[in-house]
Amino acid sequence: MTFNIHGGYLEAIVRGYRSGLLTASDYNNLCQCETLEDIKMHLSATEYGPYLQNEPSPLHTTTIVEKCTLKLVDEYKHMLTQATEPLSTFLEYITYGHMIDNVVLIVTGTLHERDVQELLEKCHPLGMFDSIATLAVAQNMRELYRLVLVDTPLAPYFSECITSEDLDDMNIEIMRNTLYKAYLEDFYRFCQKLGGATAEIMSDILAFEADRRAVNITINSIGTELTRDDCRKLYSNFGLLYPYGHEELAVCEDIDQVRSVMEKYPPYQSIFSKLSYGESQMLDKAFYEEEVKRLCLAFEQQFHYGVFFAYMRLREQEIRNMMWISECVAQNQKSRVHDSVVFIF
Amino acid sequence: MESSENGRESNEGISVKEENILNFLDSVDGYLILMDSLSSTLRQGWLELASARHSMGASRINSTLFDLKLHPASTTLQVNDQSAAPDRELPHFTLCKWASSNNPEKYFEEAKFGEDELLKKSNSLRHRDISHNSEIQARSPESVGSPVTVDDQAEKERYKSLSMFGTLVSPKLRASQLSFETALEMLVEVSNMRASLLCAHDQVQKDMETATK
Repeated sequence: MTFNIHGGYLEAIVRGYRSGLLTASDYNNLCQCETLEDIKMHLSATEYGPYLQNEPSPLHTTTIVEKCTLKLVDEYKHMLTQATEPLSTFLEYITYGHMIDNVVLIVTGTLHERDVQELLEKCHPLGMFDSIATLAVAQNMRELYRLVLVDTPLAPYFSECITSEDLDDMNIEIMRNTLYKAYLEDFYRFCQKLGGATAEIMSDILAFEADRRAVNITINSIGTELTRDDCRKLYSNFGLLYPYGHEELAVCEDIDQVRSVMEKYPPYQSIFSKLSYGESQMLDKAFYEEEVKRLCLAFEQQFHYGVFFAYMRLREQEIRNMMWISECVAQNQKSRVHDSVVFIF
Repeated sequence: MESSENGRESNEGISVKEENILNFLDSVDGYLILMDSLSSTLRQGWLELASARHSMGASRINSTLFDLKLHPASTTLQVNDQSAAPDRELPHFTLCKWASSNNPEKYFEEAKFGEDELLKKSNSLRHRDISHNSEIQARSPESVGSPVTVDDQAEKERYKSLSMFGTLVSPKLRASQLSFETALEMLVEVSNMRASLLCAHDQVQKDMETATK
């Protein structure tokens, strides 16, 4: 009843933002473009227009993605500056995933002897924090934590991966997934504490995210040196697959075994029914389609924070769509454009 | 009697010239098919790379993650010395794939393609004689366009080279790696085919010069 006192204005704002998402007819126009300049011309009639209008030719696909991301960042910052607790904390949680990605990017790039400035330019703007450049001096995870991350929101997630082992490709991968697991679990607990419609809607969305991560980790680890125990430790401790599904996934050795595990769970039967046996190429698209369905449903209810999370994720999906369409147009492969575009409306 | 012998020699000379022309046309045919295959394999590889970036995210697949540390090349190209045995039909270039500096025994694989795969690309072209072109040998790939079966060491080298993008990478990135690996083999094959083509062209030119004298 008192939601609108503190959250009413921003809920109205985010619903207004939602109405600016690209429609099926926008995507049809974009999919018929012959060049990136045509894409820019079509986007000039949308809310992305002001962000792309001053970009010089020739355009690159990365430029289109960067400018569209800038729009998302501006909208997010507008909402964050207007938000009060606990909505402001909720909005900050949305960016922790990008923060983890940026930390791993800097650490990996430094390991590969890349210039820090070059790496900073590739970081996601939503995941930036003040001392991020200092990550380049750390030699192991203990130093990473002590020198930089102790003063960031990621500090509590580091307790499970602090070792003195030197940073190498495998340790960095385990660190990435361990941090993300801890972040998801923390976000889940925070939403549960908020209660009400926020807890109900966010539980469903975050549980799906945890399950999808478990499947992706399993598929990506097939044929690698990651042991079954290490694999199991990277799965989140919640979600539909927890705990029995995780036990079965950890021992899978090919995509068909993963499919036989997932088909025991009715919500995932429809996803895997779209794939032929032995094939995993369309799995990402199937998962994204299911996620978009759940995110759109979040807007059917009022007076909860789930709409903010749903909007951010839908925009990110839209940016992924535009990235894919741009790549297909740039590579003259328009016949493949519908392989990965997920319509939102 | 002499005129019939001269006629026989002349007929043999004409058939040798025709054979040289056919060799040249065969070489051009093979070269064009290979170039077409190379183009489509590269297109496939680039699209798979874009698909991997779409799946894993731009922060995980980008050029700033390339490893600038010094490390030995995992694949090298060997140029065979033709001066030692100019009469023998040997490939000029040979690919040494996934050779690890830690392993004293190099993995030596010649980049070859099954003729059936090439012919799939263009059914309208005339069938070429396998015995005539010794550089092309049949093999059984796991799938269209994929390299020959490799042992565990080569698989490890493959994963090692992808590890700059992380240890847990999408199958799409691995597919992209296979496509570019196939394209590299094709490039070597194109080079060898071009050498044969130029040799056949020189032969035809010589025949034409002889005929005009």
